[in-house]
Amino acid sequence: MEPHATTAGERSTLLADYDAGGFYDEMFAPGGDPRPHCEPFYDELARMTPAHFEECRRLADLAFLLQGITFTVYSDGLGSERLFPFDLVPRILLRSEWDRIERGLSQRVIALNHFLQDIYGAQRILKDRTIPRSLVQSCRHYRREMTGVAVPRGIYTHVAGIDLVRDSASGEFLVLEDNVRTPSGVSYVLENRLVMTRMFPRAFQRQEVLPIHHYPAELFQVLRGISPRTADPVIVTLTPGVHNSAYFEHTFLAQQMGVELVESRDLVVDGDVVYMKTIRGLTKVDVVYRRVDDEFIDPVAFRPDSLLGVPGLLAAYRAGNVALANAIGTGVADDKAIYAYVPEIIRYYLGEEPVLRNVETYICARPPDLSYVLEHTESLVVKEVGESGGYGMLMGPWASKTAIEEFRTRLKADPRNYIAQPVIQLSRAPSYDVATKRMVGRHVDLRPYCLFDGDRVTIIPGGLTRVALKADSLVVNSSQGGGSKDTWVLRGH
Amino acid sequence: MLSRIAESLFWMGRYMERAEDTARLLDVHFHTQLEQSQQTYLLRWDSIVNISGEQDRFFECYTEATPHSVVEFLAFRDDNPNSIVNCVTRVRENARTIRERISRELWEDINSFYHRVRAFSPRAEIATGPHRFCTEVKFSCHQFRGVADDTLSHDEGWHFLRAGRALERAEKTARIVDVEYHTLLEGKTERRPDSHQWMAVLKSVAAYEVYRREFHSSIDPQRVAELLVLHPRHPRSIRFNIGELHTSLQAISRASPGTYATEAERLAGRLHETLRYDRIQDVYERGLHDFLRSLQQTCRGIGEHIARTYFYYAVA
Repeated sequence: MEPHATTAGERSTLLADYDAGGFYDEMFAPGGDPRPHCEPFYDELARMTPAHFEECRRLADLAFLLQGITFTVYSDGLGSERLFPFDLVPRILLRSEWDRIERGLSQRVIALNHFLQDIYGAQRILKDRTIPRSLVQSCRHYRREMTGVAVPRGIYTHVAGIDLVRDSASGEFLVLEDNVRTPSGVSYVLENRLVMTRMFPRAFQRQEVLPIHHYPAELFQVLRGISPRTADPVIVTLTPGVHNSAYFEHTFLAQQMGVELVESRDLVVDGDVVYMKTIRGLTKVDVVYRRVDDEFIDPVAFRPDSLLGVPGLLAAYRAGNVALANAIGTGVADDKAIYAYVPEIIRYYLGEEPVLRNVETYICARPPDLSYVLEHTESLVVKEVGESGGYGMLMGPWASKTAIEEFRTRLKADPRNYIAQPVIQLSRAPSYDVATKRMVGRHVDLRPYCLFDGDRVTIIPGGLTRVALKADSLVVNSSQGGGSKDTWVLRGH
Repeated sequence: MLSRIAESLFWMGRYMERAEDTARLLDVHFHTQLEQSQQTYLLRWDSIVNISGEQDRFFECYTEATPHSVVEFLAFRDDNPNSIVNCVTRVRENARTIRERISRELWEDINSFYHRVRAFSPRAEIATGPHRFCTEVKFSCHQFRGVADDTLSHDEGWHFLRAGRALERAEKTARIVDVEYHTLLEGKTERRPDSHQWMAVLKSVAAYEVYRREFHSSIDPQRVAELLVLHPRHPRSIRFNIGELHTSLQAISRASPGTYATEAERLAGRLHETLRYDRIQDVYERGLHDFLRSLQQTCRGIGEHIARTYFYYAVA
């Protein structure tokens, strides 16, 4: 719907008293004026009364509810369905900023893929002692079973979601974490855009936002490229099932790619060949885009208690009869201790300087780092190396004394399992506050989605901007009360 | 088509039909029976519980069948797996697990139906009578079928959906006729039931107007049975639904006309032939109750064979 014009003055009441609060603001320059590339949308917002904005928000929420675009939270013990809160104010990026991000991410994904090939192959980087062997082989997600396996076209990281944050201090984008197992969220990127084009058609007419809807087609091409059979390969998306938090996304991608969505009970392995059970008997499967974690994917090879897996899948994979995306064992590359070495990894394999810097990281496996972290726990963010989604994390400055002490005990007991980073003051973006019906500054990050076909990396412009909707919170994960925004990359800036 | 998806579609058809049938029964009986004597009135609620097939579970929860207890149990109770709310929830659960295979329109229709049903307050509906609720359910079920027919490709998946609905409806109509004849004719009431109760039976399967138009007579139990069991074109008659079921099973198995490829298809075809050529006198001669009982058994057998052939066949 089109917002009705108002006779607003300089700033509409939505943005009255907006305070950037000393952080880097994605929409406003330090003097308080909108950044030039944000002006068209700012004008749009300035014309809206709070009532009209509220109505748009209500319609957007209703659209998500009726489409069943929900995720599941486990913390309440019920596994209940919730809407992923969507904030209607887009995060707008300059083309020049984006080009740099794109270069940096391509470089990173290619280097991580080299690293995985090496780790499960010749192990040059370990023999050279560029990375300690013990650090790699003690990764929770290191899969010894993959040693010497020739994965199709040498690709491990077909899909990567790399989390970036903009440091308020410098305005620079830093890499916060790599996700190269089964990163989720891209369906929200596509659905958010759809809702935005309906709510703000005029804004899209006034400036050219780079399109993103080719993502499923690009993903399909990557999957087709790794099939052992070239003519008419059968490609499936494997989901843990309807109770998984990302189930909506699994259905969405399967539907958009036009491939079958399967659960483990739909698949059988016979003679190292994977089949799906159809009403007309068994059909051979060539490529599995799997959204089931390594540990659960094959109860014969990994966790025997897994009900989500397909017995014999690893054997079929090793025999080359089926391709998996992502490959098994990629988790070693997004271990948070390995993360600290990624700049080294880029230099080692590509002979280039990293385009995007890391956040400074203390690896508790190193004794000097550990003592520093133990002394400064109150001022650091401490993370478990194998976790994701905001679980297993301590935010020092906001944590209680008991929580800090508890983490110290855990750190001392198992230092390999932790890293620590200084608190980064993430940039903020104007976001709608439901309680006060006004715009307030909230911290944001950015997760672009990178597809790798063995030759080049394709990234849809923008990605998922996650926003910490609680005041002052720096945690943007959906499982921890975060929401999302549409991300616009403008052509020609 | 994946076996699991076919199975989900089949059960979506069944549960949606079950929700509608229960809503129709509740709505009609709640309102018609208000005009009956107290004793007849209570007896009639017993028979509604019997039609649902959930007598045992019901009497674990309540001591007697009253309008309140029956409405609560059949419409809302969480611990009755076949309550309307649970049927709709299960349709949505099934749809959610195959939403990439059904149309976006159908998914959104089911999802919003689910949210509407969940928004009703059981207490208010039980207090005021379930008319608003039942009407919502009935029309939402009609809408579901319209959206399904209009937005799904009429392929084997659609035939599974239709087969589920037809099988459920045939069984349910058989059960209604069986239970009603038993209650109304076999001496449980002290006097012969008046035509109001037969009218209620007809209304509960949306067949009252058709009866009037076709028979131009006052309500005669034998003719009611004829309409509900043997009518060739009324979409709630057993014959009509067994015909639909047979057509869908043939479309799924791709057997050439006049032959069959699966046991389910053979049983449905044979039953359909009986219903096509038997007259109501023939049915009465064999005993209506026995006839309906054996028909329900055949229906159960067809359901089992569909599952065995398409959903749970043995693999190496």
